[in-house]
Amino acid sequence: MKKKNLCPRKRKGQMQMTETIAVLFIFFILILFGIMFYYKYQGVAFKEKQEELLGARAMDTTLKVLFLPEISCTKGEAEPEDNCFDMMKLRHANETFKKYITKYYFNLFSYSRIYVQEVYPEQTQYILYDKEIPFLEDGTKGWEKKEPTFFTVTLKDESKSAIIPHYGFGYVVVEVYS
Amino acid sequence: MRLSKSRSAQMEMIGLVIIVILISLGMLFAAQFALKENPQKKIFTRKGLSYSTMSALMKTTVYEPGCEGDFKSSLNPQIGKDLLEDCARNKGFIQDNGFSLYRCRNQHTCIFLREFISEMLNETLGGWNKNYEFTSELIQAESDVPQPLFEKIVGSHGGCYKKERDSSGLFPIHTESGLVQSQLLLCD
Repeated sequence: MKKKNLCPRKRKGQMQMTETIAVLFIFFILILFGIMFYYKYQGVAFKEKQEELLGARAMDTTLKVLFLPEISCTKGEAEPEDNCFDMMKLRHANETFKKYITKYYFNLFSYSRIYVQEVYPEQTQYILYDKEIPFLEDGTKGWEKKEPTFFTVTLKDESKSAIIPHYGFGYVVVEVYS
Repeated sequence: MRLSKSRSAQMEMIGLVIIVILISLGMLFAAQFALKENPQKKIFTRKGLSYSTMSALMKTTVYEPGCEGDFKSSLNPQIGKDLLEDCARNKGFIQDNGFSLYRCRNQHTCIFLREFISEMLNETLGGWNKNYEFTSELIQAESDVPQPLFEKIVGSHGGCYKKERDSSGLFPIHTESGLVQSQLLLCD
């Protein structure tokens, strides 16, 4: 009589146990998915942060280039012209940049490449600064990513006319390495 | 019996609370993705680039055959100062490549301007896969409605339709015919 009463109870207990185990299993699977997702997200977020920092460096370097007195259009103590490079300075800027690259310019631009491309009237390219991250010991290149920033500039040339300065059209490219 | 029922209800409540917490966490993540701000560099580049392109274009001196105009000395015209003014003054003669003071590439100034500005923008902004629109309008005292000097220039990758965009701002030039306003829209 007793045995007959115990059997369905036991079965019910077993069922509840199985149910609890199943629920726990699903719960832990969900937790595992959550952890995996968070891990992946952290990886992506880290990369994004790195890109953001590189973008900010590219922005800073571009601003420094745009307002660099060595190449910008100045006239005595007057305000320098907006987004303007002086061709007479630009043609010889590379020599100055090369000469003082370690003493001065590396602190300003770090590892980057800066050049001005003339679009009109000619198509000349002026490389101002080029300092790549050195190769690693195993021979592979020292940088993974290059972030370019473009900016359109006007190229003032006073050598063409003594009366009115001539203005060309071009752009400056600032590539920062990371 | 009552006790077991209340315990089961408690368990269900805990389960519900866990589900609600998990859904809230998911929602928080989704909101973080959705409300992500545009990278600062993107905005800076778009704003600065539209203004710098426009100011550079307006200052550009044109060296093309026929650009000397009626002047005997070789004075090359600037887009913002000379060519836009000439286009505004002689807009009425644009049909059949009619009269204009400057005859760059043997074309009416308005026709030449559209062609030249398109080339310049295509070589720079177009080459960097940017969407853009350039407009130049004439506002006359007799009419409130601005009249386009030439057809709107749209980038080869498209114009600015319902996208994030920035303007160079209006570049106004006073001419004998009225006020010429030029604007460049840059978008991603």
